[in-house]
Amino acid sequence: MATMTGQTALSLEVQSFADKTIASHQGKPGALLGILESMQERNPHKYLSTEVLEYVADKTDLPLAQIYSVVTFYALFNLEPQGEHTISICRGTACHTRGSRNLLQRLRLELGLPDMGEEGADKVCVTTPDGKYSLRTVACFGQCALAPVVEVDHVIYGHMNEQTLKRELEHLGHGGKRA
Amino acid sequence: MPGQISIRIDGEYVTAQVGQTILEVARANGKYIPTLCWLESITPVGACRLCIVEVSGVNRLLPACTTPVQDGMSVTTQSEKLQAYRKIALELLFSERNHICAVCVSNNHCELQGMAQKLGVNSIRYAYSFPKLSVDVSHERYVLDHNRCILCTRCVRVCAQVEGAHVWDVSSRGIHSLVVSDMAKPWGEAVNCTNCGKCVNSCPTGALAEKGFAVEEMVKRDGKVTRLAARRGGQQ
Repeated sequence: MATMTGQTALSLEVQSFADKTIASHQGKPGALLGILESMQERNPHKYLSTEVLEYVADKTDLPLAQIYSVVTFYALFNLEPQGEHTISICRGTACHTRGSRNLLQRLRLELGLPDMGEEGADKVCVTTPDGKYSLRTVACFGQCALAPVVEVDHVIYGHMNEQTLKRELEHLGHGGKRA
Repeated sequence: MPGQISIRIDGEYVTAQVGQTILEVARANGKYIPTLCWLESITPVGACRLCIVEVSGVNRLLPACTTPVQDGMSVTTQSEKLQAYRKIALELLFSERNHICAVCVSNNHCELQGMAQKLGVNSIRYAYSFPKLSVDVSHERYVLDHNRCILCTRCVRVCAQVEGAHVWDVSSRGIHSLVVSDMAKPWGEAVNCTNCGKCVNSCPTGALAEKGFAVEEMVKRDGKVTRLAARRGGQQ
């Protein structure tokens, strides 16, 4: 429906994976979410490229606008390549009162990411230019007793401070090149 | 008659069919309920919250456009409380984007402006957010000005349900929501757009307009769209 059939920059491998995923979700309500999730999970950089979305739209007969709407609604879906490591900082109330803003600021400086200013103050999702780290903010992990909470590659670390955060970063191999 | 029920609107007994919404019954009986996102024969979404009504026995306000009637229901369509809440809803719509009537193509033909006049909203109690939003002039015949959009999603529904093209949808969420065509590409590059102009004619404000019109010149004809929708079988 969306694009001319057969014209896609996707590799045959990705195409066949998409076809299988779409077929396995055939006829199920809310299939789009599952399809998009599998497609993103398969991507080495954990994101959905325009080509993938166009291909899914073409094969599922769903309007491009609707797919784009779903992808931008859920924070789970990424439209940009993600870093090798993902660091999520909780910006919930409990973590905020325990100083998560400072952690965020510290991490930004450490990774050399620009300050988003007023606009990006509440929601951050940025990747370093070298593609090594993605920095995100999260509303709440539900681990408020451990505040402030930071999630590094899907592992939750509680009671974080700038020293422990730095240690975790070094663990990931950051800062080794510093002379 | 089967499926016929009796409800009370503002103290007056009226008959209604099962499956009708409060708004439909009220309109059929000459009762006025303000609306913005509602468009006849198009699926209602209850987004603008202007059609809120009081239903006795329910301790919250319900949108008339999406609430089906029930036998013995007693509905109040006008009250001080409703007036206050409708004003708040409208003021929040105004504070969210850059609605500057004096330079708008739809000035004097705008449903948002008309509603403000009708409900007596002439100042806003909330701080304007003055967002920096783009204007899409890529389409050869039409313009999309996000600054004037109230996210009523009439264009989205009309394009999907009447024209069947589904070029429009809402991206992101909350205050960052924007109406987008296809994959947030410029409107002029939207592959599914048939240039039919139904979205433009059903837009309540000057957000969607035809090119070549100056201030105050853009008159919308949503009757064309609703008639077509009704002939295609209405809401379902």
